[in-house]
Amino acid sequence: MADKGILIKSLSKRYGGGETAVLALKDVNMRVSPGEVVGLIGPSGSGKSTLLKCLGAVIDPTTGSMVLGEEVIFDNEWKVRDLRALRRDKIGFVFQAPYLIPFLDVTDNVALLPMLAGVSNSEARKRALTLLTALDVQHRAKAMPAQLSGGEQQRVAIARGLVNHPPVILADEPTAPLDSVRAMTVIRILNDMAKRFDTAVIVVTHDEKIIPTFKRIYHIRDGVTYEEAGEGRPLH
Amino acid sequence: MKLPRLQRRTFGLIATIVLLLVLFIYVVMHTDPLAPVAVTVSTVESKPVTPALSGIGTVQARFTYKIGPTFSGRVKRLEVHVGDTVKTGQVLGEMDAVDLDDRIAAQQAAIKSSEAVLRQAEAKQSFAKTQTTRYEQLLTARGTSDENVSTKRQELAVANAAMTAAREDSIRLRAELKSLRTQRDNLRLIAPMAGLVASRDADPGTTVVAGQAVVEIIDPTSLWIDTRFDQISAEGLAAGLPAQIILRSRRTQSQPGRVLRIEPRADAVTEETVAKIVFNAAPTPLPPLGELAEVTVVLGKLPTTPIIPNAAIRTIDGQRGAWKLVDGDLIFAPVTLGRSDLDGRVQVLKGLATGDQVVVYSEKTLKARSRVHIVQHLAGVSP
Amino acid sequence: MISLAGRDILHAWGKFIFTGIGLGLLIGVTLTMAGVYRGMVDDGKVLLDNSNADLWVVQKDTLGPYAESSSIPDDLWRSILTLPGVAETANATYLTMQVGKGDKDVRAMVVGITPGAPGTPGWPPQLIAGRQITRGHYEAVVDITTDFQLGDVLKIRRNHYTVVGLTRRMVSSSGDPIVFIPIKDAQEAQFLKDNDAILMQRRRTEANSTFNRPGVPGLLDAVIASHTSNRFVNTVLVRIHPEFAPDEVAELIRRWKRLTVYDRAQMEEILVGKLIATSAKQIGMFLVILAIVCGAIVAFIIYTLTMDKIREIAVLKLIGTSNRTIVSMILQQSLVLGVIGFVVGKITATFAAPMFPKYVLLVLVDSIAGFFSILAICVLSSIVAIRMALKIDPAEAIGG
Repeated sequence: MADKGILIKSLSKRYGGGETAVLALKDVNMRVSPGEVVGLIGPSGSGKSTLLKCLGAVIDPTTGSMVLGEEVIFDNEWKVRDLRALRRDKIGFVFQAPYLIPFLDVTDNVALLPMLAGVSNSEARKRALTLLTALDVQHRAKAMPAQLSGGEQQRVAIARGLVNHPPVILADEPTAPLDSVRAMTVIRILNDMAKRFDTAVIVVTHDEKIIPTFKRIYHIRDGVTYEEAGEGRPLH
Repeated sequence: MKLPRLQRRTFGLIATIVLLLVLFIYVVMHTDPLAPVAVTVSTVESKPVTPALSGIGTVQARFTYKIGPTFSGRVKRLEVHVGDTVKTGQVLGEMDAVDLDDRIAAQQAAIKSSEAVLRQAEAKQSFAKTQTTRYEQLLTARGTSDENVSTKRQELAVANAAMTAAREDSIRLRAELKSLRTQRDNLRLIAPMAGLVASRDADPGTTVVAGQAVVEIIDPTSLWIDTRFDQISAEGLAAGLPAQIILRSRRTQSQPGRVLRIEPRADAVTEETVAKIVFNAAPTPLPPLGELAEVTVVLGKLPTTPIIPNAAIRTIDGQRGAWKLVDGDLIFAPVTLGRSDLDGRVQVLKGLATGDQVVVYSEKTLKARSRVHIVQHLAGVSP
Repeated sequence: MISLAGRDILHAWGKFIFTGIGLGLLIGVTLTMAGVYRGMVDDGKVLLDNSNADLWVVQKDTLGPYAESSSIPDDLWRSILTLPGVAETANATYLTMQVGKGDKDVRAMVVGITPGAPGTPGWPPQLIAGRQITRGHYEAVVDITTDFQLGDVLKIRRNHYTVVGLTRRMVSSSGDPIVFIPIKDAQEAQFLKDNDAILMQRRRTEANSTFNRPGVPGLLDAVIASHTSNRFVNTVLVRIHPEFAPDEVAELIRRWKRLTVYDRAQMEEILVGKLIATSAKQIGMFLVILAIVCGAIVAFIIYTLTMDKIREIAVLKLIGTSNRTIVSMILQQSLVLGVIGFVVGKITATFAAPMFPKYVLLVLVDSIAGFFSILAICVLSSIVAIRMALKIDPAEAIGG
């Protein structure tokens, strides 16, 4: 329990109540260590999205517990009062589409999160620039999102996910719109960043190209997770 | 390159905002109460003022003769028409005599009859006289009685009286005839003076009452303008002053004239002074009577004083004055005004000195705190 | 923290400016509408201001001389002048009629002014060109909106008048330009019919055997002469000594002269309150409709702008942006739109106002009130968009 990363025990989620109740998650158990990238795979309707939303603290799980880093954030009920701050500070999001804010330039897209957390504009921008440099997009720092290529946008999105150094990053199909070379690049970046920032990364995917790269994979079927070892294919 | 694109965007934005702001500030500065009031100024000058009076009147004839019968009757003939020139004594027309001629004939017959009666009375008197003389001689010769002589004397006295009565009756009848003849003469309408027929009010066959005018004759050389001047501006009007007369039908010509007299009686209802203005030379052709005329009487030149245009005069709380411009500030200077001329120049007796700058025209009512903007002409006025 | 609204506007400033200009034109119409109303009120007031009078003496029980016809004998001023407190009196006539200029004519209010010096009640208080009337007849001072210039000759009834002075903003309460002429001419003009009508009237009188008696020569002429003379004026303007109260003097005239007297406040009530009350309501309705249209447009624009940003707002919420930040973003955009609209509207209204045939008076107070109403409308109209933005589920950002 004292371990960092993310620990999920017996998480369940029920939609509705009485006769029409649907049990979307039945028994979810996951554990991701800092610096580790795990895959979360499951067919449509398996509860994958519900799990992601529970982890992202945008819907409320019904029972179970979630421990983020050293903090119990959910134990049959939320233990954190400000879920927004939780999302802002503790969870990084990387989406299928980059979802950058079109009216902010690349730097400000990244710097927005620390700014929202109360960091000064210049400090936030400095942090953003560091990350952009790490992700090798610093040359587009002043560009608007619409001027970037898909890969660049995705890198900026990853930078945004990382900027507050959250203990966990949730990546939802981050490679779906990319070709295999770019997809591999994204996965490599996620791995690099996980190690560099000691972040636990959960990649939700059904992209056959990248599944072999995970060392550990959680399958989810009918709301129940099953852990299995992955191929752990080296990245190139 | 990205930066230029961003800069272009920023530049466009700033240009638009600056344009809007400049326009907005311009608009705010040019609306009430921040906008300055456009005014024109002029310098108070010292000049003499020649006041003049202006009045209107109608052309009238000084002598008008209204000719009509002295008793009611019917017009028999009328030989003159409007516009005819007539001479003194000329017969203009005649009234219908009706039975006057018959009455004269009857009168003449009556006179003849009275003469016969007179002659008869004379014969009787002569016979009575003879008889009386004879009987008196007989009495002297004691050929008759006293009584017979007395009878004859009485007969003579009767014959004498009858003859006197017949003679007087004849005189009366002659006088009556003369009266009828005078009446007959009076039926003719005769021009008392040479002149122009101005109107013909009745035609032959019309019955007119005694005193009603049938023909009106005017003396064309005696035309004058019966002019009315508003009393408020009639100061200085006097007989003999030169005048300019503009007839309504001849607006471009100004005829010289002079004031003949001021009527002693003014019009109390219309508050006007009435004066008669005569032409120096009768205009040709003669203007019709009743034509409207504008008369300007020029009064004498007054001594030099500071003058301002009357457009510079303002009234504040019942006090007349002018806005004086001193170092760009407006000061209201109350003034005492003197005479003014028809061009609107007014004498300033007190309140302003020669060389002062005064506001003449202003777009709106000025207040002491108004900001002014001096221009040559106000907008909308063609120079 | 950076301004999200500012960045969004900067990003799409073209859209904002054009929408703002569109809204601004509408606001310009609204401001002009208010200006039309102010202009009508002002028309009534300048008429009173320009007459330079404290009291208006009119025919008993009439609302004259502007709102109703009033006629009183023209020598009444003398007896009024003798009352205590009266400083100055002047006859005046008012008649709205067509004034001929060449073969055209202009609708104007002909004001007859008592001869005297400038400053006499009824005289134009200031000119913009030329001079005041100096002759007792056939001179005119006209308002510039009649399109006359100095030296022009205008025709009222059958008389010709030379324009000697020009004024600005000398209008009747219905906005017709004023033509000042000497009162004697004006009295004549009020009753003077055209020549044909006079001839017809003469013939009618001649046919009437009561007037045309054979035994009474001159009676007919007397009757005809009495037809053509007019010894009446519409009002006597009274200026009172400053140490007397208008009510006091008005009461004296009412009591002893048995006439109706109005002071400035009552006159304003008649002209502004009674004459233009319905027009004011009409314009008020327009303003309400325009305000609703403005609100609807702002609401629609802001709603559309927010709809376009649903995804971004979901992302913002997901990454922890507070509701307040999102609400203030939408509100700020709405207010900026309002401000652009107001600036454009004010500019448009100011440049459009002089082009109107009647006076449009843009008052600072209206602009300020308009500005705050627009802001209020913007805030209100963004409520729909804000409600929608608040309902956006951050979960939407996470696919599926």
